[in-house]
Amino acid sequence: MKPAKSQRRYLRGLLVTLFWLGVWQAVSMLVAKPVLFASPLDTVRALRTLVPTGVFWSAILGSLGRIALGFSLALVLGLLVGVAAFRFSLLRTLLSPLLTMVKTVPVASFIILVLVWFGSSSLTVIVAMLIVFPQIYFATLSGLGSTNRELQELAKVFRIPALRVAWQIYRPAMWPYLTGACASALGMSWKAGIAAEVIGNPANSIGEQMYLSKIYMDTAELFAWTLTVILLSTVFEKAVLWLLRRVGK
Amino acid sequence: MDIQIKDLSHRFGEKVIFEHYDLTLQEGGLYGLTAPSGRGKTTLLRILMGLLTPDAGTISQGIRYSAVFQTDRLLPGCSAVDQLLFVRGGKKDREAAARFLSGLLPENSLYQPVGELSGGMQRRVAIARALWAESDCVLMDEPFTGLDEATLRQTVDFILAKRQGRTLLLSTHQKELLTDCPFEWLRI
Repeated sequence: MKPAKSQRRYLRGLLVTLFWLGVWQAVSMLVAKPVLFASPLDTVRALRTLVPTGVFWSAILGSLGRIALGFSLALVLGLLVGVAAFRFSLLRTLLSPLLTMVKTVPVASFIILVLVWFGSSSLTVIVAMLIVFPQIYFATLSGLGSTNRELQELAKVFRIPALRVAWQIYRPAMWPYLTGACASALGMSWKAGIAAEVIGNPANSIGEQMYLSKIYMDTAELFAWTLTVILLSTVFEKAVLWLLRRVGK
Repeated sequence: MDIQIKDLSHRFGEKVIFEHYDLTLQEGGLYGLTAPSGRGKTTLLRILMGLLTPDAGTISQGIRYSAVFQTDRLLPGCSAVDQLLFVRGGKKDREAAARFLSGLLPENSLYQPVGELSGGMQRRVAIARALWAESDCVLMDEPFTGLDEATLRQTVDFILAKRQGRTLLLSTHQKELLTDCPFEWLRI
């Protein structure tokens, strides 16, 4: 009997993972210097040492909390300001140069500026916000702009209450844009957030731990932290997108 | 309240659509509008609905309209019942809305997303929605497009039964199919 399609896809995914783990192992054996390039086994061993420690969990909670807070603030603000800017074109024009600037300035410049102005404790939150806000803002504007004109006229003629119009006509038009923007912003908020932490070294953060791994030349631990970030960011992304899809239905 | 249009003038570029045009729709009247296409049937309806500001003229204010547009304008992904509830009522009115619709559509289609219904069925949903909504006057722009003759009969009966004394103005180019109906025919 032929295995089902989903089973075959699963098997293929497993084989691809094993292949790249094999490549990783082979490269580490070729380099043969665990200080420079840890093997998968070294990484798992480092992770096993880390997981039972309090440092591990407080770093995870610290980073996750700050990035999630920055992301959520940016999501709410981006939506609100986006809606306001859609309604009032003057605001849109006024904000345009500022947001273009925020989008083009290198993340590293922001990190250093925020560090100088606000210190390291709020660094991750602010950096994650700065990365996510423009994306949500522009997605909101394009989404609202794509709203079906005929349905807007219908709502006007039938005198449908504003909230119902917002929920039934504007929200469905905006949602694909919003989820698209969130999908890319989620990954970016983690990358930028962790980069900020490595530079700013706030207490209880993954970035701080990565920085320490670098100081001690502990590549296995650095890999273990990286793996942790990948896992966290994937789970966070899936959770937020799942939530958005639920609300968008 | 009667609806009065006085001294209406409107043009699209060079093309004059209305010039010093007057029209009175008496409260509760049943009006048919017929004219060759391009003569301003849709324009007149859009002016009444407040979607188009005429170059000149006055139109009675404070009338609540509901309408069937030239296109169906249904909420995508929502069922026929949801289309009705969008313009009036809430969850508690689901059954009433379904009963209302069942006069015009098969029972098993009422909770399907409208995208899965045929063109003629979608048209009937739009018609039912206009009649279900709270309004003083119902405007219908070519409501019978895409309906076969048997369905058209059923739809006309439905419209006449459900307008409940409201003023009704519909435009059509199929006047000959409605000769036995008590419409007062207007010309532009």
